[in-house]
Amino acid sequence: MDRPVIGPVNRPVIGPALRAAGLVALLSAVPLGAAAHQLVVFASVDCEVVLVEARFSSGAVARLGEVRVLDGSNTLLTTLQLNSDGTLRIPLDSVDHSTGLVIEVDTGSHDNYWIVTPDDIVRNCGS
Amino acid sequence: MKRMTAGLSLLACLAAPAMAHYGMIIPSDPMISQTDGRSVSLTMSFSHPFEMAGMTLDRPAAFSVTHEGETSDLLGVLQDAQVMDEQGYTLDYPLDRPGTYIFAMEPQPYWEPAEDAFIVHYTKTYVTAYGDDEGWDTELGLKTEIVPLSKPFGLWEGNVFQGIVKLDGAPVPYAEVEVEFLNDTAGASAPDDLMITQTVKADANGVFTYAAPAAGWWGFAALNTADYTLPQDGTDKAVELGAVIWVRFEAWTGQ
Repeated sequence: MDRPVIGPVNRPVIGPALRAAGLVALLSAVPLGAAAHQLVVFASVDCEVVLVEARFSSGAVARLGEVRVLDGSNTLLTTLQLNSDGTLRIPLDSVDHSTGLVIEVDTGSHDNYWIVTPDDIVRNCGS
Repeated sequence: MKRMTAGLSLLACLAAPAMAHYGMIIPSDPMISQTDGRSVSLTMSFSHPFEMAGMTLDRPAAFSVTHEGETSDLLGVLQDAQVMDEQGYTLDYPLDRPGTYIFAMEPQPYWEPAEDAFIVHYTKTYVTAYGDDEGWDTELGLKTEIVPLSKPFGLWEGNVFQGIVKLDGAPVPYAEVEVEFLNDTAGASAPDDLMITQTVKADANGVFTYAAPAAGWWGFAALNTADYTLPQDGTDKAVELGAVIWVRFEAWTGQ
């Protein structure tokens, strides 16, 4: 299956739970808001760290979850575990972020993702 | 002859459209996803939205954004713009985090000779960022405002929108709420002037309900008379306080 890559314009990359659905389905599903208690995934970045935050639309933090970090070519870089407060700090120098990053969070029953574009990194690192 | 002229003038007055004034804050999109970018564009005006007739919006007395309980002053970053051929403003605002951003404007009092009163429309709109709708029911504590009971975004056409009309923090029983469509692209026409601005009344608890018949931006303006006056030409004049909220209904995608 062809996998989209992150370009100058935000391009979603398909994660394991989403890959099967294909790009068309993914684009039509963005954001994945259909399920009750939607999982909201957000990642902010500065020059040192990607801070991942995951919580449900009810406001409750996701206490458990697998965090998959992929690069802009959809290559899995690392898999980590979400902290019990629903956050995870990923040192920026621990991953190849030159093509951007896709942060997927999978709690088992819900998953969602956030795309960190190269522009995000440049913009926030420069500020 | 004079009598005929006077008669024609009278008819012209009677036939004048029932144009309602609306403070307006219209975002480029009320639901910004991560694929939409990292900011929202806003257009501010004072106008008759169904007729797309603009009026001058002087630089507002206040313009702010509220997110996660914090309010930031944005008055200084408004950009002058022509909106419906009149003075208005634009703003491109970065959305740094998920959640609901509420943009609010307090205009300068607008003197309306035809109504022999000033108009002050406290205007707001809600924008959600990155799939997180927390804060959609936020009450800002404005002098007067419509507090949403329906989520003020993500509504299908045909859904109802409900809100509570408040003045000085208290519900306004049987408040009158004017409803008008922003007729910017739909090309809607009204079979009767009475349908340009529709009116509903709130119930005893200040709660009103309206079902939008079509997708697009709909403005709700709850009007009350202030408990103060403002001077005009040496005379104290009444002040119409408007609690205005702009809500977009989305086109139904089913068959």
